[in-house]
Amino acid sequence: MGRIENRIRRLRFDHNEMTQEELANRADCTRQTIIALEQNRYVPSVELAFRIAKAFGVPLEEVFQYKDSEG
Amino acid sequence: MAPLQKRALISLSMGLALAIALVVVFVTRDISTFAADLGFRLIVYALWIGVPVAYLLLINLTRLSKLKQVDERDRLIKDRAPRIQWLAVIFTLAVWYVVLNEAYWNKGQIPVVYLTLIFISILVISALAESLGILIGYWRMNRNG
Repeated sequence: MGRIENRIRRLRFDHNEMTQEELANRADCTRQTIIALEQNRYVPSVELAFRIAKAFGVPLEEVFQYKDSEG
Repeated sequence: MAPLQKRALISLSMGLALAIALVVVFVTRDISTFAADLGFRLIVYALWIGVPVAYLLLINLTRLSKLKQVDERDRLIKDRAPRIQWLAVIFTLAVWYVVLNEAYWNKGQIPVVYLTLIFISILVISALAESLGILIGYWRMNRNG
């Protein structure tokens, strides 16, 4: 079974060091959820994933990647 | 700490304080006077109604008043909490069943006041267990994802 990883921390850094609070406000979720996502301790719904990608202005696959356990 | 997690902790603390007060009232007063003593009954009613009221105000009405504080992750955790609640209720009923059987089997009947006590205990345990279930949900999600 694979796992879903994300580049949220990196993307925040690339977007003028956007704060977790700011991203949470833009993606309409709580800061605690952003923290959990960055630590790969929570897999978001498709809707939240799209909202986060939209907050960064990038396609979904630039934020979230599916890592196959074999590869 | 997430807002819902904070509220669950406050609700559990308040509920536990009220539940302990309830036990203290029953221990310090004679249980057989429950039916005859109006003051005793009013204190008990106020205490046990306080637990679900604290839970409702702090947990369930959160969604209505402050939607921004709760997102999909919080809702997922809250929706899983009834698993703990169900276990706690079944366990409480099992304890009542064993204790009352052992205490009153030979007499063939139990005092009516125990119906009230069973009802109160289930209601109190149910509200406490859901708050506890929310806290366990956050703990597990932070630990295991």
